[in-house]
Amino acid sequence: MALRAGLLAASALAIAATLPVSARAAGTLIWGMPAETDILDPHATGGWSTYQVTYQIFEGLAKEDLTKADVASPPLVPGLATSWDISPDGTVYTFKLRPGVKFHDGTAFDAAAVKFNFERFWDESSPNFYKKAKAFVIAYTKWIKAVEIVDPMTVKVTLKAANYQWLRQGLQSYGQPLMVSPEAVKKYGNDGIALHPIGTGPFRFVQRDQGVKTVIERNPDYWGTPAKLDRIIIRPLQDPATRVNALENGEVQIISTPPWDEIQRLVDAGFKLSTSPNVPYINFIHLNFKNPAIADIRVRKAINMAIDREGIAKEIYRSTGRAEYGMLSPGTDAYDPKFASYKYDPDGAKKLLAEAGFANGLKLTFELAQYGTGEIVETWIQRDLKKVGIDVELKKYEWITYMGKWAGGMGPDVAMNTIGWGMSTPAWIDIVSRCDSAPPGGINSGWYCNKEVDKLLDAAILERDTAKMKDIYQKANRLIMDDAAFVPTIDDLQPIVLSPKVKGFVNPPEDWFDLSIVSLD
Amino acid sequence: MGRFLGHRLLGVLPVMFGVSVIIFILMHLAPGDVATVLLGPQATEVAKTELRHALGLDQPLPLQYGKWLLRTVTGDFGTSIATQLNVAALVLPRFLNTLVLTVASLLLAIVIGYSVGLFAALRARSVFDRVTITVTLLAGSTPPFWLGLILVLLFAIRLRWLPVSGMVDMAGDGGALDVLRHLVLPAVTTALGPAAIITRMVRSSIREALDRPHVRVARAKGLKRGALLRRHVILNALPPIITITGLQLGYLLGGALLTEVVFAWPGLGALLYDSITARDMPVVQATTLLIALSFVLVNIAVDVINVLLDPRLREA
Repeated sequence: MALRAGLLAASALAIAATLPVSARAAGTLIWGMPAETDILDPHATGGWSTYQVTYQIFEGLAKEDLTKADVASPPLVPGLATSWDISPDGTVYTFKLRPGVKFHDGTAFDAAAVKFNFERFWDESSPNFYKKAKAFVIAYTKWIKAVEIVDPMTVKVTLKAANYQWLRQGLQSYGQPLMVSPEAVKKYGNDGIALHPIGTGPFRFVQRDQGVKTVIERNPDYWGTPAKLDRIIIRPLQDPATRVNALENGEVQIISTPPWDEIQRLVDAGFKLSTSPNVPYINFIHLNFKNPAIADIRVRKAINMAIDREGIAKEIYRSTGRAEYGMLSPGTDAYDPKFASYKYDPDGAKKLLAEAGFANGLKLTFELAQYGTGEIVETWIQRDLKKVGIDVELKKYEWITYMGKWAGGMGPDVAMNTIGWGMSTPAWIDIVSRCDSAPPGGINSGWYCNKEVDKLLDAAILERDTAKMKDIYQKANRLIMDDAAFVPTIDDLQPIVLSPKVKGFVNPPEDWFDLSIVSLD
Repeated sequence: MGRFLGHRLLGVLPVMFGVSVIIFILMHLAPGDVATVLLGPQATEVAKTELRHALGLDQPLPLQYGKWLLRTVTGDFGTSIATQLNVAALVLPRFLNTLVLTVASLLLAIVIGYSVGLFAALRARSVFDRVTITVTLLAGSTPPFWLGLILVLLFAIRLRWLPVSGMVDMAGDGGALDVLRHLVLPAVTTALGPAAIITRMVRSSIREALDRPHVRVARAKGLKRGALLRRHVILNALPPIITITGLQLGYLLGGALLTEVVFAWPGLGALLYDSITARDMPVVQATTLLIALSFVLVNIAVDVINVLLDPRLREA
């Protein structure tokens, strides 16, 4: 420990001597994450742990401001575009680009670079097209009709139809349309960006040792406020106990996904706990409309009433979770914290089940992924359902197998499956609940279909006025819950535990963070 | 001896072939689609079909296997599907890290096992012997991941003597000494089980050899204790000890994979887990082949040592 402290002190002195006061470095931050980050090409990757890294390296034309915690959803602010204008019919977006920006490899950022990026993830006729990118960024690209350069610093994107959630959908889709250096793509090839991630962000890529660490450092030529930290090392530490131990021993300064039972002890030991009240995702159960028992609305309502969500939040999440009764994520503009649907009422559930002809009990199959801490919740749900006479068999699958089953939709023999998901746009609800989102092609895993809901969702993305948009989504949410189509369960409030040395960390209504504002004492 | 060695080395090929076929079939039997993993849940069926075609996953299994085999024989392990990295470049450094941990643990197990076992055998039924039997029983049945956590709590969190995780200090550059500091806890964790088994084997083999008639005769003839032990006891007791030590290396490789997770040691363990869950076939194949090859080669080495010690085995 002494050796490291000495090295840190020496490097801090050396930096202090060479840098101007305004840019004085605040050292190296080490982050212990539960999983290895995926491919660092923003157009061809998915997963929150990866976005937590790519957000620091890459930027989009618009970006989410993640420096505020006390907002319903992250404000959409100018990124590499200084402004954008949306035509009255909502189909043409004209972006004014930020002058004087350079990619980390020195390539100038301009309209040609933007066009190049759109060609990469959208334009199949272009030599720069990358199939894998299009497959990932599909939620964004499926709306695009044309991309044109108006002048060297202006780009016009025409959509096939109006969609006022489009910009936010782009920042939320499974791949993100962030700007990658065209020169880097030409030099390293489309597949090569994963190993040479070159963007315009406040941090630039230094090194990746697969499974060991990913290192990024401050971009000294950043167009905006420079990052406070010198360097960030992201370490995959799969075992939760190892993450906690590494934090306690000072080997990492931040850990994500701490074990729930350890959080209070860490706080008592002087570590800081950061949670986000407005997370953009919820944990929920898809109920399968193809299952004969579930097809009966009384059974669906009974399941909703039989689960003690408050109990789960208190006993399992140790108050870092919140019971949820609707399908809109808290981190969206459309969320209503007062929304109520089915309260915990086991007696009412029993009554409904008896009315549906299941007074003597019912057997159901519940599919879930066998990973992380989620199984404790499902076991709790299994116990709650048993109390009202529903005998649930938990079928656990390893994550990849489960993902295939979930995305493929449930067969009639399965009653329900579960996932934690969401976005900071309420338009996410389309993906899991629209009639035309049924698999394949959509992830309406329980085959729910209500044309009235679809009509509302169609209207919602055409609504430019935020208040009206919110109203439409809430109506859709009400219809969905009146149908008891899902069982929303818990929001995980995204607990992050930090060393007291870490300053300025903000846990925003997003699954990734702006690390440029973080510093170390 | 040359013929013996040649014979044994030739046997490596069918074993490796068998391992690769079994892994290949197992990975294809496992449900879950690599295209869904790579492209995400929102990808269209067209995109997934195209990807499967690009990766050659739509070809008949024997053809896929044949192509992989041809490439591998020429030394090309291919590209990782999940990470887009060269498989050899991805797997070899991790294998070396696992080897560092395994060899360190083996050395530790040998030093503890041989010395304590010998000492206990020479002082049969003494307090030391009885304590050894009890402690080795406990140590041999302790799960390594639990032991690892306990050692971390004591030596890293409480006493702050040693680091918790990783192979090097991420913030600094401590060199070989730093690696050694990081190596202590995982090596002790992995070594303890095998050390217990080796200790018991050494103890019982030596005691058995001590009881043999020719040893009693030699002792009666007044042979000095040191010479007696060297020439008549240890030499005769060695073959089973060497064999069990070799087998422990296989156990250590497996045990190291578990310990690696607890200590975030950047070895094959996490890589194997990640590549299996990502259905990253080229990486899984290369990793399992390397592990199998190490196991087979260690067994050959054990046989060779035994033959050198006991020439009668050459004909066997």
